[in-house]
Amino acid sequence: MASSSQKQGSSKYVTLISSDGFEFVLLREAACVSKAIKKMLAGSFLETARGDRCHFEEINGIVLEKVAEYLCYNHKNRNREDVPDMDIPPELCLELLMAADYLDT
Amino acid sequence: MNPPNPPNGMPPPAAPPQRPARQIRGPQSALTDFLASQGINANQIRQDADARRAAARASMQTAGGDDDAPSPDAEPETAPARKETKAQAAKRKKEEEKAIAKIKASKQFQRRRKQYGSDDDMTDEDEAARAVFEESMAPLPGQMENCEVCEKRFSVTAYSRAGPDGGLLCPKCSKDLDKEEGSAKKKRKLAAGRQRRQLQSNLLDGIYPGAKDLMTLCIETLAKNVQNANSLGDLSDELVDKIAAILSKKRLMTPETLYLFLRPGSDTVTVYDAAKLSSDDFIRIFQIVPTVKHIRLRNAIQFKNKVMDHLLGTTVKLQTLSLHGANLIDDERWNQFLTEKGSHLQALKVYHTDGHFGDEQLEMVAKHCPNLRRLKVCHNQKVTEAGVRHIAKMGNLTHLSLELYKQLTDMEGEMSCLEIIDTIGGGLRTLSLATIHDLSDALLEIIHESCQNLSKLRLTDNSSFTDNGFAKLFTGWLNPPLVYLDLHKCRHIDAAEPRENPNNIGLGSAGFETLMAHSGATLKHLNVHSCRHISREAFEHVFAENKTYPEMQEIDISFCQSVNDFVVGCIFRSCPNLKTLKVFGNFGVKEARVPKGKILIGVPNALGMQIEGTAEDEGRVI
Repeated sequence: MASSSQKQGSSKYVTLISSDGFEFVLLREAACVSKAIKKMLAGSFLETARGDRCHFEEINGIVLEKVAEYLCYNHKNRNREDVPDMDIPPELCLELLMAADYLDT
Repeated sequence: MNPPNPPNGMPPPAAPPQRPARQIRGPQSALTDFLASQGINANQIRQDADARRAAARASMQTAGGDDDAPSPDAEPETAPARKETKAQAAKRKKEEEKAIAKIKASKQFQRRRKQYGSDDDMTDEDEAARAVFEESMAPLPGQMENCEVCEKRFSVTAYSRAGPDGGLLCPKCSKDLDKEEGSAKKKRKLAAGRQRRQLQSNLLDGIYPGAKDLMTLCIETLAKNVQNANSLGDLSDELVDKIAAILSKKRLMTPETLYLFLRPGSDTVTVYDAAKLSSDDFIRIFQIVPTVKHIRLRNAIQFKNKVMDHLLGTTVKLQTLSLHGANLIDDERWNQFLTEKGSHLQALKVYHTDGHFGDEQLEMVAKHCPNLRRLKVCHNQKVTEAGVRHIAKMGNLTHLSLELYKQLTDMEGEMSCLEIIDTIGGGLRTLSLATIHDLSDALLEIIHESCQNLSKLRLTDNSSFTDNGFAKLFTGWLNPPLVYLDLHKCRHIDAAEPRENPNNIGLGSAGFETLMAHSGATLKHLNVHSCRHISREAFEHVFAENKTYPEMQEIDISFCQSVNDFVVGCIFRSCPNLKTLKVFGNFGVKEARVPKGKILIGVPNALGMQIEGTAEDEGRVI
């Protein structure tokens, strides 16, 4: 119940933290494009208690940066139909794919 | 300023003032003659102008506390220089503002802004509107202008092009510019067409328009760069399967890329498009992945005797064999395979083998594959009712799918099908009988009696089942509600009297209502494509306001003539989790509004589906 009351006053932003300590602050609404992050923030998990900070021990900074970029890109284009595809560097492709699978985006 | 005040700008012609006739005149220019003949008189003009100026001066003095009050004397001098009075300037300014406001409000301008700017540069709106205004104020056709690039003087025509800085270009310079831009413009046009087709293609694949999800983006990038990949690392089987599917769709599954999917120790090999693989590549599958248990190969034309011989020589114990297009395996090899490796086989799917794999092989299956659970024979031209009868002996079957193209002779064929259902129907969980043109209501009756464990039922392409037969099948059927139902093309055909259906043949209103009453609660996929006898009232009744079908994901009601905008709206209302609705050939569907996140395919107009609302966020579908 603490989490739900906290949610009322929770900030508009959340922080994603990579395994090597990089932090990415982005809009809660954008981050919730990822169903996994949405669930992390919705339930009474540690993430909510720690002030909306999500640690990803398996995702490094480089990949998480791209993930954050994607979340913003998706949020920005949420109401558009003809959206140019986001560029994904081929060398990051596989790692990013695994992250995407994990985050359910 | 270009549009000047003509009266003031006119130099007083050298004509004599109005003097009573004295027949002496100096030399007169042609222009003066012409003006005189038109009743235009320089003196008159001057007087008019003076009067106007005086009036303006007077009005300014009464206005008094104007913004440039300190220099009221300067005004009369500057005004004529700018060829307009203060009042005129104010008027012009007002008109300009009006025009700009009009431009801002115009649809074209809004569209243009949507195209170029996003919502963060809201401030330049004024500037953009002014740019449009000034564009429209460019010199009119017929005037002279200096070319922006070569500075030569030329006369403006309606075809004069604007240069890079907004000025006009002379014909020669525009030609050069055309040449430069020509190819780029063409390319842009082509790209736009491609984009539109891509959008439609995505819709058909169930990808919602808008930003793709990250996984799709990654897989597509991977497909583009697949030749640079050495291995897929430790991706999950599910992901590997998705990648394999997309590579195949793009026809990129070559002997080289096949290696990415042969992972030693794995028990599944799936190649969705094996058309580019040779027999040796198939043999290599068994060499690299000897642990393989489930093998699925589509377009496996080169999976021929040589490969079968190799497979028979290995210790591979296949549980699933799914071969598509392997019509170069002769009967002898099939028999040998079934005798030697049949005991492990749990699923056998044979598609598109033309004149191969017939009655004899089905007999071998019945004899040597005691553990067989799934049998699928699709697009086969060899199996006859004799072979079908053997299926009745396969007691462990839970999934049966037949699509036979050799027409079963009326009575015999029907009897053999009834026999199957009668003996093994009780254990079946999925039953699929496609292209059964002549089977009658007797089949529906026996399904009603024998089958009580079905979750998927497909009976398609038939023109003898009656509406009554369907109604009976779904009334009081002990089978639990179905999840997947496909009854497409169950309808009456008569080329002479296409509108008449005296015997109520095909799935009609009664059948449709009973089936939805029986299975509506769990149904996920429903296909009643071409069941044209279902009435609009039946649709409206089934998808009435008080009914919901929470599980429904996909409906195909193409070519059901009675479907219209209202029915489509009712369906969207009653099926909250619907993802795709197909309405090909339903000309009553004209401007149905599609809730966000749902896909409507086959709207018979060029606009395609129109999305309504922005509330729901779970739009992405793949």
